[in-house]
Amino acid sequence: MQTQPVVAVNGVTKTYGKPNEKQFQALKGVTFSVQPGEFVGIMGASGSGKTTLLNILSTLDRPTAGTVVINGQDVTALKGDRLSDFRAKQVGFIFQDFNLLENLTARENIALPLALQNVSHAKQTQAVEKIAATLGIEAVLDHYPTELSGGQKQRVAAARALVQEPAILFGDEPTGALDSQSAKELLNTMASLNQEQDVSILLVTHDPFSASYAQRILFIKDGQIGQELVHGDKSQSAFYQEILDTLGTFQQ
Amino acid sequence: MLRKLALGGIRSRFRDYAVLFSGLVIASAVFYMFMALATNDAFLKSNSPVSMTSFIFGFGEVLLVIITMVYIVYANTFLMSMRQRDYAMFMMLGAKGRKIAQLIFIETVSVGLLAAVVGVVIGMGLTGLAGNLLISMLHAPATHFSVFWAPALLWTFGFFLAMFVLAAIVNAIRLLKTPMLDLLHAATTPNRIQQKKTVLFIQAVLAVILLAIGYWAMTQLAKLQMMAIGVALVTIVLGTYFLFNSLLVWLIGLLKRNQRFAARGLHTFTLSQLSFRIRDYTKILSVVAMLFALALGALTVGLGFQREIPEMARHQNAYDVVTIAASAKTQKAAKQLTGVTAKTAYTQKVTAKAVYFDADQLKAQPLQFELFDQGKWQHVTVTAKNFARYAEDGDSQLLQFRIPADNARRLQVVSHAAFIAASGQTRQVMTYQVRNFAANYDTIETMVTQQNRQFGVKSSDQSGQKFTVYALINSLYSGLAFMGFFLGIAFLAMLASTLMFKILSGASFDASRYTMLQKIGVRPSLLRRSVRQEIGALFLFPGVLGITHVLFGLNMFKGLLQQPYGNLLLPFGIFIVLYAVYYALTVWLYESIVIKRDRHE
Ligand SMILES: Nc1ncnc2c1ncn2[C@@H]1O[C@H](COP(=O)(O)OP(=O)(O)OP(=O)(O)O)[C@@H](O)[C@H]1O
Ligand SMILES: [Mg+2]
Repeated sequence: MQTQPVVAVNGVTKTYGKPNEKQFQALKGVTFSVQPGEFVGIMGASGSGKTTLLNILSTLDRPTAGTVVINGQDVTALKGDRLSDFRAKQVGFIFQDFNLLENLTARENIALPLALQNVSHAKQTQAVEKIAATLGIEAVLDHYPTELSGGQKQRVAAARALVQEPAILFGDEPTGALDSQSAKELLNTMASLNQEQDVSILLVTHDPFSASYAQRILFIKDGQIGQELVHGDKSQSAFYQEILDTLGTFQQ
Repeated sequence: MLRKLALGGIRSRFRDYAVLFSGLVIASAVFYMFMALATNDAFLKSNSPVSMTSFIFGFGEVLLVIITMVYIVYANTFLMSMRQRDYAMFMMLGAKGRKIAQLIFIETVSVGLLAAVVGVVIGMGLTGLAGNLLISMLHAPATHFSVFWAPALLWTFGFFLAMFVLAAIVNAIRLLKTPMLDLLHAATTPNRIQQKKTVLFIQAVLAVILLAIGYWAMTQLAKLQMMAIGVALVTIVLGTYFLFNSLLVWLIGLLKRNQRFAARGLHTFTLSQLSFRIRDYTKILSVVAMLFALALGALTVGLGFQREIPEMARHQNAYDVVTIAASAKTQKAAKQLTGVTAKTAYTQKVTAKAVYFDADQLKAQPLQFELFDQGKWQHVTVTAKNFARYAEDGDSQLLQFRIPADNARRLQVVSHAAFIAASGQTRQVMTYQVRNFAANYDTIETMVTQQNRQFGVKSSDQSGQKFTVYALINSLYSGLAFMGFFLGIAFLAMLASTLMFKILSGASFDASRYTMLQKIGVRPSLLRRSVRQEIGALFLFPGVLGITHVLFGLNMFKGLLQQPYGNLLLPFGIFIVLYAVYYALTVWLYESIVIKRDRHE
């Protein structure tokens, strides 16, 4: 018997614009699944529908048709408080543009999801310090976002997404605003979280290097999944090369 | 080109400009309203029995100028916060400093001038509306009251123009001095609360001392005269500011350090929201507290004066209206009286030399006199037994039981038998007592006028009616009540616009924060609660301090009102209800801006 997938996407379409306005179909029937503990990358050209897909998966937006099941829960049916609680507990995400609250310190930002569940202060501190150590941001915990570098901000955002130990972590180009060194550090952290703590990760990117960290890559083109690459036993550099080749042919 | 850029900026942030603009319009409208009274000496002199009134208004002017100044400075900071990114962008694209300064000048001054023009028009409208409404409600003559008042016009324009030219210069200098990077990132930079403990402590102590001096000064109005008001003005304004500065910073710090509290739900976020902009909060909250105190104080005193009128009239006469041989018209009017608590009929017999009361009738229903005896007002019931004793003192009370034609006749009480036996005409006298004289003012006026015409009463000293006394007292006090209510309304409008402005001007910055919170899974109900708490704090603190100010400030009216502290429940109740409604409205407006509908739903 196969284990239940952590994310199961079935025939998802998304059409922007109201029926009487100019319409645009950004997703044209997407189907795939992510197994527990998997690290999956999603690649595609600009405007291919990556962010649209991720927003639907992470319950920020709603598909026009199709279903999204996360951890056994059909998220398209969620509403109100149950939707909020689902976001707070089951999914973590790192946005393209950090999305930290600039009036809270890094520590307060990270602790926020725990505070929302009324976890005791002692437990909050403990959890925040643990995740901060994992991500290497202990030294800047009491800084405000404006006092952090881009890489630090992104790691604080990652810490906030992970502190609740969600079933799945979504990342939308989390390395997009980072220099290559910071990007590498964040990706290494994500990879070790995935390997050591079995966090399932779905990473959207158009950077081949970031994608080479994934175990499996889905290529999306014009709102549809076109091709799939599996890392398997290949070395990371070999996989990276394969991604580059695929991109070359896929984009044409 | 520059003009196009300037206008383009306005179009792109229309809502923020609308908030800014309407705030300034209200400020100038209120400024005009106040000046329309304060600079109208003839009005002040003829409507107030107190010679100090013009001086008091002079101090009021100073206070309003301070308040409006803080308001305008704040509005300008807001204007700049909206524009500085754009300006920085222009500068990055190569615009020269002088051009930018010019741009700022055009924008700032035109916003100010336009607000003043619209504000003055609205101010006149409000002055007319509130003025006429109050005049008819209070039956106040309000002589020399004028909706269009040139000095007020000049004052308002002069003040606003001066303020905005000054603001434009300051804005330009500040902008050109600020490093480009700070301009591009402004408004996202949080204010760390890094005030030293000792400074906080000194401010707190100073605040208490200043407030104590101010409160004390207000009790010494009789001794210190004008000095008292001047001292109170300075100390209370400063004390309020220091108190908020120290108290709020301390309180937020305390709550944040209390980890059990801060670690729950959105508490940290709410507290940070407050401390994020603590500096302009304290200034605005001080202004709000002052406005709250002024509005509530004016309303309370206005109501106090209004209450004084029937209270004083009540001591003059037990009966609200008395009719003698009422004509059909008078009787018809009498039927219109509402809330009649007592209505008594007496039969008089008019002989050649005298007007008789029947002793039996008086025994069954004694007359009621209000007499000033042994230093205090007394209510006495008069029958045949004591009639002779009170007839002398109570001549003013008996006047209403006679008509001018009775001048040569004596009022007498005779036994029932003598009453029957006496030859002469009988006539019916009716006395009425009503629950609320002011509510029956028009009816009573009709009845009294009818009676006066019927019996040829020419002057007020021939009529012993309460109406005559009431009208006299009314003419003295309703002017003061009018000023109280008028200013109460004006300050209330300013209070509302200040708070609304403060809260809504931050809303567009806050919106992104709330969206983010929604994305990471904060329940909408929790977000709403955070909004309610944050805005609640902004309403509560100035409210409490404002009430305290008023409670002490009423001391100043001890000489003018018999009981300045009597019946506070009504004005305070009205005010608190209005304030609460306003709070609910603000929360609703703010929520509709910052809490977006979830796209998932
Ligand atoms: N709210 C919207 N309304 C209408 N069309 C939209 C909306 N959001 C996205 N689109 C369109 O949908 C398509 C997919 O957009 P999406 O943001 O998913 O692209 P993406 O793959 O994330 O691109 P990038 O790599 O540049 O971030 C684009 O053509 C875009 O113009
Ligand atoms: Mg995208």
